[in-house]
Amino acid sequence: MIKSLLRQGEMAVLLALVLVILPLLLFLPPWLPLLVLSMLALRAALLRRQAAMPSLYLLLPLLLLAVGGLWLSLNTLVGREGGAALLILLLGFKSFESRQQRDWQVLLALGFFLAAMPLLFDQSPLAAVWLAISLLALTWAMLILSGEMVEGSLRSAMQALALSLPLMLVLFVVMPRLPGPLWSMPHDQHVASTGLSDSMEPGSISQLVQQQEPAFSVVFAGQAPAVSEMYWRIMIFDDFDGRRWQNVRGLSSETVQWQGGRLVSYSLTGKPSKSRLPLLEYTVTAPAGGVLEPGNLFKLARDGDELFRFQAQSLLAAHYRTVLSPADQDFYRHLPPGNPASRQLAQQWRAQGGDGAGFVRTALQYFHLDGFAYTLKPPLLNSEDGIDEFMFSSRQGFCEHYASALAFMARAAGLPARIVTGYQGGQFNPVGQFWQVKSSDAHAWVEIWLAETGEWLRVDPTAAVAPNRVAQGVSQSIPAMQPQLPGLGRSVPAWVLRVQQNWQAAGFAWQQWVVGYDAGRQLNLYRWLGLGEQVDSAAVLRAVLLGGGLACLPLLLLWRRQHSVSPLQQGRHRLVQVLAALKIVVVDSDGPLDILNKARRLPESDYRQLKALLKEYAAMRYRQPAGAQQVKQWLRRVKAFQPGRQ
Amino acid sequence: MLPFRKTLQRWLLSRLPLERGGRLGQRRIYLLPTRFGLLLLLVALAVWVGALNYAVSLAYALAFWIIGLMLVAVLMAYRQLSGLNWTALPGEGVFVGQSADCRIQLDNDSALARRLQWRAGQGREPLSCLLAAGSSQTMALPLLLAHRGRHAYPAVQLWSTAPFGLMRAFAWLRPDGHVLAYPLPMPDRERNDLHSEQGSGRQSGDDEEDFSHLAEYRQGDTPRQIAWSVLARRDVLVSKRFASQPRGQSIRQLAWQDYPAAVDMESRLSRLCWRVQQCEKAGQHYRLHLPGVLIEPQPQQRELALAALAEFKLPS
Repeated sequence: MIKSLLRQGEMAVLLALVLVILPLLLFLPPWLPLLVLSMLALRAALLRRQAAMPSLYLLLPLLLLAVGGLWLSLNTLVGREGGAALLILLLGFKSFESRQQRDWQVLLALGFFLAAMPLLFDQSPLAAVWLAISLLALTWAMLILSGEMVEGSLRSAMQALALSLPLMLVLFVVMPRLPGPLWSMPHDQHVASTGLSDSMEPGSISQLVQQQEPAFSVVFAGQAPAVSEMYWRIMIFDDFDGRRWQNVRGLSSETVQWQGGRLVSYSLTGKPSKSRLPLLEYTVTAPAGGVLEPGNLFKLARDGDELFRFQAQSLLAAHYRTVLSPADQDFYRHLPPGNPASRQLAQQWRAQGGDGAGFVRTALQYFHLDGFAYTLKPPLLNSEDGIDEFMFSSRQGFCEHYASALAFMARAAGLPARIVTGYQGGQFNPVGQFWQVKSSDAHAWVEIWLAETGEWLRVDPTAAVAPNRVAQGVSQSIPAMQPQLPGLGRSVPAWVLRVQQNWQAAGFAWQQWVVGYDAGRQLNLYRWLGLGEQVDSAAVLRAVLLGGGLACLPLLLLWRRQHSVSPLQQGRHRLVQVLAALKIVVVDSDGPLDILNKARRLPESDYRQLKALLKEYAAMRYRQPAGAQQVKQWLRRVKAFQPGRQ
Repeated sequence: MLPFRKTLQRWLLSRLPLERGGRLGQRRIYLLPTRFGLLLLLVALAVWVGALNYAVSLAYALAFWIIGLMLVAVLMAYRQLSGLNWTALPGEGVFVGQSADCRIQLDNDSALARRLQWRAGQGREPLSCLLAAGSSQTMALPLLLAHRGRHAYPAVQLWSTAPFGLMRAFAWLRPDGHVLAYPLPMPDRERNDLHSEQGSGRQSGDDEEDFSHLAEYRQGDTPRQIAWSVLARRDVLVSKRFASQPRGQSIRQLAWQDYPAAVDMESRLSRLCWRVQQCEKAGQHYRLHLPGVLIEPQPQQRELALAALAEFKLPS
């Protein structure tokens, strides 16, 4: 009966492993989890029919083959994807190598480790739910495997998990977090990152705008600035090839003098894309965890796309004064040939306006008055002279068209200019008291350097064409977008809005307190608890390590091989198992003769083999202790003994 | 295996008092992780390091949940042993070379089923027992007795890894009990006859040859009277009847001095033992006389006589 229970335990282990592996279908090349899942299914079938296991000589080449396939499809065996893939593959093969309870326990422990794998790719509340389900399955399997009755074991498993939940929560909150990684891992290159791309051409931002994904969230300390003041900088493009804007320069340094402005403190939480996170214009000191790059951009010190939170202070509407060398000025004036009509117009504006500020005024007036339209679906610009076509014939575009055109005009008029991309605006969530910025808030604008004041002046041509875009957001400015963007237009019922806000607030709380609970937040908590300034992660870690070390000392002294099993006992156990597979039940108290008696219905040759083995066993066990060598040989013969196999 | 493990164990055992029974509590229950438990701790550590490195908050939750589970496993393993009552039952004596049962009764008066394993001494195979809620069970530990005398119950280790197999709760018991190894009976036919004549002054001849017939088993027949071979063959309980049934007042003398001085102590005891058995079998009254010990006919005389033989030491 114990045997049949154990069988069920093995089934339970396999089932739990299947549950753990399932979510990886989403993150790994699907053939791999499917392969492993089918291996587990095959193992379960073998277990059910108590069939013989495939030999090692078959398994090893297969394993090598699979690892080869893995290498071909992922190009790596380490890192997030490679590691997870290799691990489940090994797990699949290990299941074919599992015979004794100890092997199954190793599988189960691997399963617990594997449950962490999907979390590397996704930390949404759904992932957390799946984690809980996986844990329950694993715990349940552990119970059954260790010999608990199947009836009521699910309840026991739930009970145990519920009991350990409070401790988990306490450790989660108190256990120190480190501010940075212990070692850096190679990053998976082909994981598409959402967010702004490396270059800007017509259409690159309007694509993004049609998505409704949250990009980042912000909490302001005190009064929030007006929506029209929220310009979130991410990237700068300084080189134009006639169609596409790119960043080629990457200024090495920049001396900035900030003038005026209103100080605003905020904390921002978001997933970095290529180590970049947005900054509110203009953030004057680098937030912890990264550096300020020239152009008032934020670059994180670490790699990876894990959620990041920082606190910063920005000078709203400050003057951004910096000195540009003549070479730099030339660089920011460089244009490829083409677009003659626009060039001519630009020079005309320059002559009218006089200085840079005059040029900007003229340009904005032109965009404002001369029949330009703001649309997500502008006609395609096919000609060589894209700017000319936009300025004089199509006159329909999205922010990237306007930014591109204005930057071109400024450069053509001899003014240093560049394009800044990022986000503009955000929606306040009254439930969670935070600002949510979505990918639909993506935006591009222009900075023009005025020689008279030595200042990079922000010029947003979109604001001239569609003032609503900047003041109220994109959905208010493009009527055609309203049906596509539920919840942003005026016609949305209040309850939909409320549900939406609650959902966003829950997501924000999840991000803030679960996914984004980090060293900084922990430190704040320690302070709030009144533990004093000296208590930080390092101190807690020291205490935990020291205390844990002391606690482990007696363990170290005491731990030993529990119930050491002699080779003789091992051999007997193996025989008993082999016989049990043939439905011959041997109990603990059976001596060699009893066993032989029970096995009488074995085929003649098997019976004779068994008799010889048991005779030897009896001699070594009861008559005279045998040498280790002899026992070993006997054990080998026991392992070779496979009755019922022709 | 640690070199000082044995020393540690001996020290642990020496601290324990001999007890007739008791109730297991926190002073007696030790807890250590099993190999599987250590493996899972290692996994928790690995997940934690991974969480640290990749800044994966939910992985922290997983690592800490595993740790929490380990602690729950500690409590649950403890609960398997805690409050268990045990009593050392007196052991039945056997002859040298046979194996005697050291019996310990376990009473589970809680509402919890217990899955226990136990083992006496090192190197023996562990035995398992499942104690349902509110039930009792007697563990019988076979002990091979190689020489005559009183053998104390060995220390017993009782443990449980239930319900997860992550933690092992164990307790050492030192039951205050013993089993007796009676001298190995050695046939002494000649003296049996001779001395019975001398002692009782009557003709007799009660040994195996006096077997008369088989009769239906009656309550009160000694195990020695049962015809085991018949039982084995035909599955009916039959007793042997002997020609000479108990004879009134005649008392046979079984004495140390029946043997010449050259016969050593063990052979004397073995022969006396055989003769005690013969008398018992035949229902013959007898008197056992050893230096310093005299066992008169009385209820349970057999046990007393055999115990005297088992524990006999020459007075110095």
